[in-house]
Amino acid sequence: MTDRTPEPESARQERQPVPPTEAAANPDGAFDAFNPPQRELIDDCVHCGFCLPSCPTYELWGEEMDSPRGRIHLMESGLDGEPLSGSMVEHFDNCLGCMACVTACPSGVQYGPLINRTRAQVERNHRREPGQRWLRRLIFGLFPYKRRLSALRLPLALYQRLRIDALLRRSGLFAKMPAHLRAMESLVPPVRRASRLPARVPARGRRRAVVGMLTGCVQHAFFPDVNNATARVLAAEGCEVVVPEKQGCCGALSEHSGREREAVEFAKRTVEAFDSAGVDYVVINSAGCGSTLKEYPRLLADEPRYAAAAERLSARVRDVAELLVELGPSARLNPLNLTVAYHDACHLSHGQGIRTQPRELLRGIPGLELREINRGEICCGSAGVYNLLQPRAAAELGDLKARNVRDTGADLLVTANPGCSMQIRTALRGRGADLPVAHTVQILDAAVRGERAESLLNR
Amino acid sequence: MSTAAEETALNALCGALGDEWVTESSEADRVGARRPKWVVHADGTERASAALRIAAEHGMSVVPRGGGSKLDRGESPERVDLLLDLSAADEVVEHAAGDLVVRAEAGAPLREVQRTVAAAGQQLSVEDPHPAATLGGVIATRSAGPCRHLHGGVRDLIIGITVVCADGTVASSGGKVVKNVAGYDLGKLFTGSYGTLGVVTEAIFRLHPLAEERRWVAVTLPDPRAAAEAARLLRISRAMPTAVELDRPAGRAPITVCAELEGRSGVTRERAAELASSLGEELGQTCEVSGTAPEWWGRLPGEPGTGTGIRMASRPADLAELLEGAGRVEDETGVELQLRGAAGLGVLDGWVPDGSPDESVAALVEGVRARAAALDGYTTVSRAPENVKRLVDVWGPVPSGALALMRRTKDQFDPERRLAPGRFVGGL
Amino acid sequence: MESTEPAPPTREGASADLDGCVELLGKLLPEESLITDRQRVRTYECDGLASYRTVPAAVVLPENAEQVRSAVAACSEHGVPFVARGSGTGLSAGALPRSDGVLIVTSKMRRILELDIANERAVVEPGVVNLDVTKAAAPHGYYFAPDPSSQQVCSVGGNVAENSGGAHCLKYGFTTNHVLAAQVVTADGELVELGGAAHDAPGYDLLGSFIGSEGTLGVVTSITVRLLRSPESVRTLLAGFPSTDEAGAAVSAMIAAGVTPAAVEMMDALSITAAEQAVRCGYPEGAGAVLVVELDGPRPEVERTFTEVWQHCDEHGAFEIRTAADETERALIWKGRKSAFAAVGRISRDYIVQDGVIPRTALPEVLRRIAELSAESGVRVANVFHAGDGNLHPLVLFDGSEPGAAERAEEVSGAILELCVEQGGSITGEHGVGADKVRYMGRMFTAEDLDVMQCVRCAFDPAGLCNPGKVFPTPRLCGEAPGRRRGVHPLTEAGLAEQF
Repeated sequence: MTDRTPEPESARQERQPVPPTEAAANPDGAFDAFNPPQRELIDDCVHCGFCLPSCPTYELWGEEMDSPRGRIHLMESGLDGEPLSGSMVEHFDNCLGCMACVTACPSGVQYGPLINRTRAQVERNHRREPGQRWLRRLIFGLFPYKRRLSALRLPLALYQRLRIDALLRRSGLFAKMPAHLRAMESLVPPVRRASRLPARVPARGRRRAVVGMLTGCVQHAFFPDVNNATARVLAAEGCEVVVPEKQGCCGALSEHSGREREAVEFAKRTVEAFDSAGVDYVVINSAGCGSTLKEYPRLLADEPRYAAAAERLSARVRDVAELLVELGPSARLNPLNLTVAYHDACHLSHGQGIRTQPRELLRGIPGLELREINRGEICCGSAGVYNLLQPRAAAELGDLKARNVRDTGADLLVTANPGCSMQIRTALRGRGADLPVAHTVQILDAAVRGERAESLLNR
Repeated sequence: MSTAAEETALNALCGALGDEWVTESSEADRVGARRPKWVVHADGTERASAALRIAAEHGMSVVPRGGGSKLDRGESPERVDLLLDLSAADEVVEHAAGDLVVRAEAGAPLREVQRTVAAAGQQLSVEDPHPAATLGGVIATRSAGPCRHLHGGVRDLIIGITVVCADGTVASSGGKVVKNVAGYDLGKLFTGSYGTLGVVTEAIFRLHPLAEERRWVAVTLPDPRAAAEAARLLRISRAMPTAVELDRPAGRAPITVCAELEGRSGVTRERAAELASSLGEELGQTCEVSGTAPEWWGRLPGEPGTGTGIRMASRPADLAELLEGAGRVEDETGVELQLRGAAGLGVLDGWVPDGSPDESVAALVEGVRARAAALDGYTTVSRAPENVKRLVDVWGPVPSGALALMRRTKDQFDPERRLAPGRFVGGL
Repeated sequence: MESTEPAPPTREGASADLDGCVELLGKLLPEESLITDRQRVRTYECDGLASYRTVPAAVVLPENAEQVRSAVAACSEHGVPFVARGSGTGLSAGALPRSDGVLIVTSKMRRILELDIANERAVVEPGVVNLDVTKAAAPHGYYFAPDPSSQQVCSVGGNVAENSGGAHCLKYGFTTNHVLAAQVVTADGELVELGGAAHDAPGYDLLGSFIGSEGTLGVVTSITVRLLRSPESVRTLLAGFPSTDEAGAAVSAMIAAGVTPAAVEMMDALSITAAEQAVRCGYPEGAGAVLVVELDGPRPEVERTFTEVWQHCDEHGAFEIRTAADETERALIWKGRKSAFAAVGRISRDYIVQDGVIPRTALPEVLRRIAELSAESGVRVANVFHAGDGNLHPLVLFDGSEPGAAERAEEVSGAILELCVEQGGSITGEHGVGADKVRYMGRMFTAEDLDVMQCVRCAFDPAGLCNPGKVFPTPRLCGEAPGRRRGVHPLTEAGLAEQF
């Protein structure tokens, strides 16, 4: 598969382009006139506080300004005339965007659009310190691009194979590296070879649907096994799998970090890639991408040429677990004697409301025991690129999650998001527990193919 | 008080209340060692307020009385000019059966209140060993019986109160609805305050439905540890006992532990049989189920009005230590206790008959007190001959921080120290 | 409704030295425990009743009892008022800060210090979330009984301040019935233990006075709570009735028959609609009222009374009765009820949550009067209430963007409270008086009642620094005898306070 996604125009400029001309910075408040956080959505918040215990940063620090209610309050005071100060930005930046608060909110406050707009305002109107700017440029110039990520695979593999990591740690040099770099280094999963996906995988048995597959950036580069397993499971369930060549990043990472223009450009390309593919469904195995694709109609609302296609596409988007349950599993599953803990990826559970489906699929495997993780609703700290931007908080959350995962006594952790997978594995290792981690479809794949549990445990 | 001042005060009292409401006192009116000058009768809040106003104007000290069953409780007050008798304020003012609430005057005998509410199949879940006990006395002395275990104490059941303050001011708090968080809860503050903050004239209580059927499950064990274990098993059982009591007759006799179950007819006996069999299995003992309470149930140990009564308490799980500690003190002092009480709560009443040397009884109190204190508990003297009271602190020590706050509270409510001065803890 | 009435002054208002106090706090506390940055502090300007807002001068986030003590001592030394806050979920503006004062937030004090299962109790810090106590006790077969609707958020310290109840307080009582002891910091900065390890220790029941005093007597720093054995059996039933009258009659029949349900909750048609929209709880379609009845206790007892409850509902016109077969179904039945307040946001832009109590038997009469009030004013009222104990939560709906709508809603809401007082009830069953209902205290209590309550306040907080302006309309000066107030109150005269 070739990867020729050109970098969107906007991403090449150092700062985001100034939005339409009426957007003059508001001298009496935090936000400019172009898409400030919506007052009417803020007004939906009745200040009941039900979101507090679901919020990872409130869990860590117990401070109002680092809770959803507090952040909405900050947005409100920004609209009411408070300037966009460093402290205000700090609390917006601290938000993981896990959307657990949306699940917890009884009033239906749409925190997602509020924080996305706020982040876009921050990117536009707040000048970060040079180190932070450099880091963001590095991240957003790298992760959304498959080719660049893939190019990293070889040096990373060498780095791991030659045990340079151990050397760095022993020499004490590692401790002297900046926290962000250390975070990035320690998150990298074992790099491995995997066969490439063909452009089309035929259905096994009667064809029940034609599905297009989004292969993702991080998933593609670091978890090619997951993509292969997805295609095999789908095929086993009677799906003809189409992998459009032109696809690139879906824009999730940019969207969740306030880089709206960049996200829009990525979204346009993704729409183009799938609109003409002639598929019944578009299947995604990475939670963050899925939730962004389902949001395309909102993201592309101001793009008349794309709006209708975005609606069409998002109506066909399914998480792989969602689709498998929707179709009704029919493939014969071999027993797997395994105790697993299932971790809800925020973008799956809070972002898309998908909690029961993966559990149902796993429980359908004979011999498999499913355990629940205490405080499962709390984010693991990965949150897109959060663990790279806020390594301290992310590490604390990762450790909290690792503790709760370990307490389940499971043999293996199942999760449906590459970010969570890397984050929790790192945190578990920090606690001296080397628990294997797998994607839901990898477990299903093993059951379909009649592999033994050990093959999953010894990967 | 000079004779002339006494004369003036008496005239003022008679003038304000009417001659027939003021009488000379008799020996029977003694509050501990003190005999009041006069007894003033009040038939309600208004007359009680008038009496306290006159008392304030003439600097007279006052002790309230209901049925008179507990005037020997506490230390003897430093002085008592007036005994304010509320037995004429005995009306059960309102029984709102549909709301499970009763409102009555302080002088209403508990028995009468129970009779009234029982007509609608309800009960006030407060018990008092004295047949003459009135609501006011029950509140002021914080009476409790076996069902304290499930239903809580007076403080947990009182939802409204009317009091007359030292200067005659009438104030109410709470109301006639169970759920109510408006204002401070004076009902709880006055519960167990022994007339030292003001005079309770009316109260409102929440009620419970009367059980259709009651059963008692009992087991008798010679060893305090085994008895405590039985109490623990009953306490933590999901059978939801109304009460878990124990009785240890004099002479270090075996201990009977007994739980009461209440509920619907038919099913309660079923539950009792089940509890008896599971308890029996755990203890390796036979447990009896009975349709009637043991004869000692709900009564204080010993002969009423005689001897020395003490109350000792610890955390519920320290019951074995409490029992064994008492046993050791009995050995040390040569004084034998009868013990009975709330095994499920860790609160026991002990009794020593008259006849032991006063010093030995005092040593027993101090010994038990030291053992209870080591368990973070307490020991108080419920009643005792004056000779014994002279040798011991009736109430025992109260932590200094809390005592300082209690003093400040007393100073606010009774700045001139005229309400049962010295009767309560720390000389309050 | 925006902004508050001028806060009454503390009794030592003149000598207050706010700057000195904040400076001292900076010396006494770790850097991260003191917040003075304006934007950050502003996020604390209101609690769960957001119509009252005041930005505090500083926020203190202590991590232990000693830090609370030194913060209070600093305030006391400089005559600066302070307000305590837990999770900030209160609905009476009880944790409304003072612009001239310090807000002490206990959200970082959330350790369960001891789980003493043998004695069926736990010792917790004030910031511990109510539901977390039950979560910690559950593996041992125990739970913490008070269950306010906000139990997954609200703190035990807040529960102590407000004497919180919940749906199950009908049978099990309120926070005050489940607290055995507490460590508190009084207004002069002293740590004092109230209550004790053993039951019924002699002395004044200061703990009973402290609980429910809405933060006006001190700041609680640790709480010993009673844990209850989790019941052998729990049965939950949902019944749909044509109207609230039939549902109310069914409740009366249960009570008359001697059933004490763990909880009896009622919702009317409008609140059912809202809950349905918010959480799709699947309540019976077309119901004019639903009852949620829960029984718990020993299995045979529960089975027997559950049959009786079913019959009472059936006999009084329930057209659909469902019983929860498992924990999931039980949770779904409760979901509609527990989310009702916030769910009303789905059917109305703005609303007032009222909290009043009436004798249970006056329910039909009061609901009729509320319906009349609603019809006369054109203001919609949704009713959610604890039907077992007469605690009403009328939700008065309005659209704040419509001129005069807020005022009309305020009026209806106030009239409902008047109705409660008229029926011999209370102006608050669980939300507290706070800043919001100070003006109604005079309707429920006489000046003498309030003055005598003030004696307790003066014992704990003679300088009036502890959450001033809450609960009581006009403070009596400490040292001034109750009930003998002659002429004009000095504070009123000085134009500093207003008599309601």
